[in-house]
Amino acid sequence: MQCNELEQILEQHTGGPLPGLATAHIEGCRACGALATDLDAIHAAAIKLGAEEIAPPEHLWVSLRNLLEAEGIIHEPTPALPSVQHGWWMAYQRPALAGAFLSLVLLAAGMISFLGNPTQVANRLTVSPQLEVKREVSAMPSATNLFQEELLTVNNENIPGFRMRDATVTDSIRRNLNIVDNFIAMCEKDVREQPENEMAREYLYGAYEQKAELLATAMDRGTMGGLQ
Amino acid sequence: MSSTCNVVRLAKLGVVIAGFVIATAAPARADRVEKHFPVQSKPMVTVRNASGRIQVKAWSKNEVQVAWTSVGGKTAVETEQAGNRIEVITQMVNGTASAEDVKTDFEITVPVESELSVRTDSGNVTVESVHGDMTFDTVGANLQLSDVDGYMVIKTIDGSLVCTRCGGKLEANSISGNMQMIQPVLDSVRVQTSSGNILFDGSFLNRGVYIMKNFSGTIEVHFSSTDSFDLNATSLKGKVVNQASFKPDAHGSHHPASKYGESLFGSMNDGHAKVELSSFSGTIKILKRD
Repeated sequence: MQCNELEQILEQHTGGPLPGLATAHIEGCRACGALATDLDAIHAAAIKLGAEEIAPPEHLWVSLRNLLEAEGIIHEPTPALPSVQHGWWMAYQRPALAGAFLSLVLLAAGMISFLGNPTQVANRLTVSPQLEVKREVSAMPSATNLFQEELLTVNNENIPGFRMRDATVTDSIRRNLNIVDNFIAMCEKDVREQPENEMAREYLYGAYEQKAELLATAMDRGTMGGLQ
Repeated sequence: MSSTCNVVRLAKLGVVIAGFVIATAAPARADRVEKHFPVQSKPMVTVRNASGRIQVKAWSKNEVQVAWTSVGGKTAVETEQAGNRIEVITQMVNGTASAEDVKTDFEITVPVESELSVRTDSGNVTVESVHGDMTFDTVGANLQLSDVDGYMVIKTIDGSLVCTRCGGKLEANSISGNMQMIQPVLDSVRVQTSSGNILFDGSFLNRGVYIMKNFSGTIEVHFSSTDSFDLNATSLKGKVVNQASFKPDAHGSHHPASKYGESLFGSMNDGHAKVELSSFSGTIKILKRD
């Protein structure tokens, strides 16, 4: 069995034991063995993530409710203002949304990290150049798209519920979002120009992580309460 | 006689209810409220406040005293004690209050051996002479710690940290806040800020680990000639300014010279402590202390 054949088997594999030929190839090929191990780890992480109960974004419920009201399916009025019990300090007891968002973007960052790691890319290149090209057109764009949709395109205007009344806090978060965005842009430029520069890559991941945490904080203080 | 007793009872009840309303429901603007919580041993004190000054001091009594002033007049403070766990949480009285309306200042006095957890958005936080683990989570609030000792974990967006004569372990993360450690007695430091500056002005303890990292600010470390530490300093796009005389790493660690940025590796004296300084585009300064 050739490496590219194994790659096809791994792509189509949905669980259970691998065919004997594939197992034999993995045992004899260190690069494919590493690839299979990595894919197993991602598979396990995805199952674990899927098993966790993640709260859907609040704006989804608002949109759904508006739609149902527009179609006349529901008529119940909704409370206009949150009570003290459902006020902003409840954020400290219900950080599920911010946590889920943070988990999602960090997972996306991890995927980018995994797929963008030059060492792993080099390992895969030793398997088969075709395999690498195929991977880049199949896996890399989806991870990148996910990441860009969920993190990089989020700014202070479209964080759901970002309506904090404390101008100091709002300004602080906006200003720092801009700072982190600038750092991300600078790091990305460096990583593009010097792909083997590990330190630039580390700073880029750090900046992604900071943005994720910043957005989670904004949602925590905003969507889940904040000074609304 | 009976009716007189009833009147007295009603009057007492009225006073109690009035006190309760003032303390928890709708405090008048700028009223100072004080509560006392007796504790047996090391208490865990949690404070949640959106805006306002939080001042924590230590005393020798086995008691936690919490005093607050609702500056804006539209907050209620809820307190809870369960044994040695004490929670102080500011609640908004109605949903239409502005940031200024919810501003509440706290003065908290705790036993020297106490643990703290403070979460606030804006307003300064000062902690003096408390020994115990502490966590701080702020957005823009500045943090001043002095003569504290313990494991301190700080997360802030753009609040600054000034840690004077702090002992124990420090982990601090900020995006644009400055971090200053003055005369520290810390044996573990992990400090990271993106655009802020970092200053470490003190001795590196033997077996201590000091990791300081930023993106664009300045990292400044002051050393004395008797300090003993291994140094690894790298700035990818900035400068490394050094006034120390380092010898090759005394512990055989191999530091391959990076083709990117400016790096400095070496040992001072026996290299007992480990110091790692890293910046993306900022300047790293290793300066001799006066």
